[in-house]
Amino acid sequence: MNFDLYDFYQEVKAKKILYFYSGPIAHSSIEAASYTLRKHLEFEEAGISTTQAVFSIFIEQAQNILNYSAEKLGNQADAQENELRIGIVVIGNVGDGGYFIYCGNRIHTNDIAQLKSKIESVRNLSKDKLKSLYREKRRKEPEPGSKGAGLGLIEIAKKSSRPLEYNFSPINESFSFFSIRVVVER
Amino acid sequence: MNNLLIEKTLSTPTIQFDLVSNVLKISGESFPENTAKFYSPVLEWLKEYIEQLDSATEVTMEFDIIYFNSSTSKIFMTIFDMLEAAVENGKKICVNWRCDEKNETAIECGEDFKEDLSVLPFNLIIEGDQ
Repeated sequence: MNFDLYDFYQEVKAKKILYFYSGPIAHSSIEAASYTLRKHLEFEEAGISTTQAVFSIFIEQAQNILNYSAEKLGNQADAQENELRIGIVVIGNVGDGGYFIYCGNRIHTNDIAQLKSKIESVRNLSKDKLKSLYREKRRKEPEPGSKGAGLGLIEIAKKSSRPLEYNFSPINESFSFFSIRVVVER
Repeated sequence: MNNLLIEKTLSTPTIQFDLVSNVLKISGESFPENTAKFYSPVLEWLKEYIEQLDSATEVTMEFDIIYFNSSTSKIFMTIFDMLEAAVENGKKICVNWRCDEKNETAIECGEDFKEDLSVLPFNLIIEGDQ
């Protein structure tokens, strides 16, 4: 393969990327990345609120890959506990000391409509509305198919400084690539 | 029943539930791989503890959490609802929600929980640098 690592390194630098991960994500990958990310934000003196927001968005996004990515490593017949799901996370600097947190994974094309409506239902809500929706849903039973509390997207929207941006790129008939882009301003 | 002690990991908190002092402490980070699974023994223990509790014993539940994810937030709400029901039944339980004065997120989370509760005493304890 013709692949120049220095070119790649320079591109990463030019795009102000401070952390990225692409591949199978295990819970231990998230633990390790969260340690590095905290250190990095501490070093950049991001401040406790910005750090908490970036950290929180990263965890919710990475755990979404872990729970919902339609791309898996290894045998489909494996027990659920052993499977590793594949995705990509990119965190970098934007504007005056802000951060972007991008996350992507493969999804089933026929799940697009549902995911789209979930994101749309939160992306334009005010912080107050998000807060009350979060508190309301926290006391309810999770929706069918949810592997957590069903609060992740609301949490991400709460911590985001701008409306969530997202995209679905077709891969083939069955699958699409879903990406979500979140920005935290300082 | 026995004390409940769970050592912290990078993504789960220390759990120290002590039957002698009646201080129940949860401290550290909480973003477990499987939140329901991690907290299941904690909820079981609390349920049994509340059942055997008399109305003279004073219980303090301490939360000293740096970060918790959204699925943990739901579990904490479940815990507070359990404690709230116990207080309604005459048990003496209070919650101390500890947070660093600079950690606005943790303070806000504490305020949100407090607003969702009615009879459970919920003390927001904001601590400065020591």
